[in-house]
Amino acid sequence: MAVETAERPAAQATQPSAVEDSGRFQRYRIRTGMFAWMMHRLTGVGLVVYLIIHVWGLKSLTDPTAFNALIAKYHAPIYKVGEFGLLVAVVYHAMNGLRIVLIDFLGWSPKQKKLFVVLGIVALVLIAVGGYPSIYSLLAHYGAV
Amino acid sequence: MASSKSNAVNWFLHRITGTFLVFMLITHFWVQHYDHSVASVTTDVVAQEGELPTYSDEAAAGVKAKFGADAEVTPYNVVMQRLADPVYAVLWKGFNILFLIVALHHGFYGLNNVLTDYIRNPLGRVMARVLSWSVALVLLIIGLYSVITAGW
Ligand code: HEM
Ligand code: HEM
Repeated sequence: MAVETAERPAAQATQPSAVEDSGRFQRYRIRTGMFAWMMHRLTGVGLVVYLIIHVWGLKSLTDPTAFNALIAKYHAPIYKVGEFGLLVAVVYHAMNGLRIVLIDFLGWSPKQKKLFVVLGIVALVLIAVGGYPSIYSLLAHYGAV
Repeated sequence: MASSKSNAVNWFLHRITGTFLVFMLITHFWVQHYDHSVASVTTDVVAQEGELPTYSDEAAAGVKAKFGADAEVTPYNVVMQRLADPVYAVLWKGFNILFLIVALHHGFYGLNNVLTDYIRNPLGRVMARVLSWSVALVLLIIGLYSVITAGW
């Protein structure tokens, strides 16, 4: 039998066998877009930072005066803006995370486009309904409504 | 690095904790912002130092019913409707503890994934891992302590 296949080039065999384990770095990159993945990572890390500050602040739960001061501070105009930002981050991370879970566990990859649109709409509704009080209180404070 | 098996378990757990967090965060936001009889955050804006937010009539009635007619309607007392109640406290403290554990596991496991992606040096990875889980442990202890003893 004639050997028609070229022998494996020697150079290829001696190439370093593996690019260093890139971990989860690229898992969802091609399928669902670099941007969705970057935002997921960004909001995730942001939420961790918030959680650290939050739990640290909640030490005041044991002291009425300190707790009143903490919650009063949460009502300052700038915190209302922050509250809205927090909601947007949570909703984005939650909906995109849910999308990943559904694709991973229930194999919804063929329905990706539809899933993306549906969860996107749910996210917008949650942000509108959930963010209404923060935005309303800001507008009321500055006399706009 | 930990064995690949424990990584697979953690990967799985991360998705489970994420799913749990959806429900827990909805509950949390509801209780903190929308349930007008117990929410600690109102639509009031407080711009002055020392000023307290005003609460709804439902919240005021709840606080007076629980802590006496001359109890002040402060953020602390509004929250203590849930956390100093003999029945609800167990429920809410239980919820908060579960929430705390799940959020810390999810957040810090995720943070470790991120750190592992950017830190290439094995020793650096170990240090980042030890450091971040130590922070998580400190937060767990602080969080457990404050939520358990709140209202005592
Ligand atoms: C609201 C419900 C949540 C859901 C459904 C969710 C879901 C997910 C999922 C599925 C991943 C894995 C992504 C991947 O492997 O590529 C993830 C990553 C992450 N999550 Fe969440 N999560 C939620 C809430 C949170 C919260 C509250 C925090 C912070 C305390 C957080 C912090 C993180 C971090 C830091 C990552 C790592 C990001 C990365 O590897 O790029 N998540 N989340
Ligand atoms: C602006 C939005 C938020 C407000 C006003 C708020 C307020 C509070 C308050 C007053 C408590 C005390 C316990 C209680 O009332 O039952 C609490 C507990 C807690 N919150 Fe939040 N929270 C907010 C957002 C978040 C987010 C986004 C997360 C997750 C990343 C989170 C995680 C927790 C956890 C884990 C506890 C329990 C802490 C412990 O057991 O010591 N919160 N929050």
